[in-house]
Amino acid sequence: MVTIKPATKQFLKRPRTILLAVLLIVSIASIGIFGLQEGLDLDGGSMIQLHLEEPVDQDTMNTVTAVLDKRLNAFGISDVQVRQSGDQDVIVEIAGVRPEEVERIISTPGKFEAKINNKTALTGADISTVSAAEVTGTRWKVPFSVSLDASNKFAEVAKGQAGAEVQMFLDDKLISSPQLDAGLANGVGTTDIEVSGGEQTKEQAQQQATEIHTVLESGALPVKLSISGVNSVSAELGSQFETGSLIAGFLALLAIVVIVSIKYRSPSLVIPIVFTSLSELVLILGFASIVHWNLDLSAIAGMIATIGTGVDDQIVMTDEVLARRDRSDRKNIVKTRIKDAFFIVYASAGTLIAAMLPLAYIGFARGATGIGMLTGFAVTTVVGVIIGIFVTRPVFADYMETFLVKNPREEISINKSSSKPKKNKKKGRKTIAREEAEKKKKR
Amino acid sequence: MVDVINYITRKSHKPLILIPVILMILSLAYIGVFGLNEGVDLKGGTLVTLELNKPMSEADVSNTISRSIGISDVETSISGNTATVTIAGDVDQAAFESKVNGQFKVLSFKSVGALLSEAAMVQIIYALIFAFVFMAATVFFVFRDFVPSFAIILSAVCNLSIAVGSMSLFGIPLSIASVGALLMLIGYGVDTDILLTTRLLKRKDGDLDDRAEGACKTGITLTISALASMIVLFIVVKIFIPSAQVLEDISAVLIMGLLSDLLATWLMNLGILKWHMERGGHN
Repeated sequence: MVTIKPATKQFLKRPRTILLAVLLIVSIASIGIFGLQEGLDLDGGSMIQLHLEEPVDQDTMNTVTAVLDKRLNAFGISDVQVRQSGDQDVIVEIAGVRPEEVERIISTPGKFEAKINNKTALTGADISTVSAAEVTGTRWKVPFSVSLDASNKFAEVAKGQAGAEVQMFLDDKLISSPQLDAGLANGVGTTDIEVSGGEQTKEQAQQQATEIHTVLESGALPVKLSISGVNSVSAELGSQFETGSLIAGFLALLAIVVIVSIKYRSPSLVIPIVFTSLSELVLILGFASIVHWNLDLSAIAGMIATIGTGVDDQIVMTDEVLARRDRSDRKNIVKTRIKDAFFIVYASAGTLIAAMLPLAYIGFARGATGIGMLTGFAVTTVVGVIIGIFVTRPVFADYMETFLVKNPREEISINKSSSKPKKNKKKGRKTIAREEAEKKKKR
Repeated sequence: MVDVINYITRKSHKPLILIPVILMILSLAYIGVFGLNEGVDLKGGTLVTLELNKPMSEADVSNTISRSIGISDVETSISGNTATVTIAGDVDQAAFESKVNGQFKVLSFKSVGALLSEAAMVQIIYALIFAFVFMAATVFFVFRDFVPSFAIILSAVCNLSIAVGSMSLFGIPLSIASVGALLMLIGYGVDTDILLTTRLLKRKDGDLDDRAEGACKTGITLTISALASMIVLFIVVKIFIPSAQVLEDISAVLIMGLLSDLLATWLMNLGILKWHMERGGHN
């Protein structure tokens, strides 16, 4: 068994260290169990931005998204996500690259009307249930039933009109015009009605039947929609992005490791700095996995940037502690230095969060339209900074306090070997003399 | 390197303040004269990434597409076997794919209507203004001292102006991605200024020049490590995933922003602070 030094034991027993360890385990477990969800640009797929004719209230917006969701699902498009963005936009995300189908679905407001001699006998609102579409050869029919009130209204309009056409309109387009059966023209209401028609081919019939079934079943869209933007990425390009960003992330991390190594040359400093950054990355990914948040390219850029700022903070803290280590009361100095460093760390975290907040706000309030596309970037950065100042940075501080205080000689020798000669030359005799004088004064 | 730090932190600082200021003025003038490109996100239009089956020139691709869809304003840039095509105006994806089918394979397709691009522009302006105001408020809250806070904010302004100026110079379009980078820069760029101000104003030991030198050494390491990761990102994107425009724009803007941050912080902010303290400002 490896023997553990008391200092190490003490460090590992600190509540903040334990918290970090627990969070790391939770994150890794969550990534293992739930996996990471990839956004559109890494996984491939389409995002279609729909614009409503006018701003609507929440109820109408709910109807719009519900109707769209139902229709898209009914059309056999799986993995659909319909969400609102502000009060006038809706975003549809689908796994495949099929915006044209979305276009057809949204361009059908679904206003249903049945007229006999230009008199409205039924509307879409009267429909209570729609049965499955039936296709026989090139003929199709969609039976549906209407409410009792509606059946009476229909009976009234139909009375004495046997042989007249029942013109059924979908979005003002005639879809079916069966002759009114004598049985329906006797003034007695029926709740079972059907629309039917014939097409050139069996496939067309099937498609038409599905479409009408969907529209009748899912009801009418309360407002007109138009496509305001389309963004689709093929699965192929998505995986190319994925590999590319993995390489980029890895190399960016490597570059930081190289620079930190050149600066500090001591594994006892470089390893903790790199470990802290890596654990931040794991915690961000764990967070993403737990809240099922889609990682996209902008989130990856955010992660790389977060690692950058994280390392910055560690460098500030390390330099702050290492600066002028030849003071007598080492323990207090380290504590004060860490406090000073935390002032800088908190202040920069504060400004970064302040700068990212408007972006995060737009992202949440407006979904992925416009600059909301960068939500991933803002969220990663803010989450990374928060994890940094509350979880990882304190552990790093504890590490320095524990090990840089307990083994001063070792640390000093490592540091001095590289920087001592330069330092003395630069400082000059005067500075050293003044410092000595100051020291004496204090005593 | 060490000599440069030595010079900056010890020698006469007032003339050095002028360098970033002049660069800032030049940048603003350049933006004023040449303006900024707007990306598809903000201008509206269509951006398509295609895979080429055979080697073609940029003009060939443009012409082929322009003929197929009947829109004359088509621009192409090729890297490797992928072509990025920008088309003015809305194009229907289904129609586009059916028309170019067989000639190209569509890897990604992005079309932004006028409504959306206008909304994006408004959001960008708000995001930038609020980000800046929030950052400035945080800085004032942290230091509660006019001159140092003002110096930090001025340094951020200088930083942003030079970054935007170089976007104009290198033809990086103002897009949602590049704005993201500018927002990042607002938060990222002040890190070193905060470090500098804290070390100069809040620390008592050592003389001013020593503290400035210490801050400069730490600060330059920070900026260099950030620069290194962004340069790596930029190169990897250029080589492996040329169509990941988002990453390329973000890294390019951050690289230029970080470079200008070096000047703004260590030539201007340091200069202003030393000047302020020499004149008896808070120490």
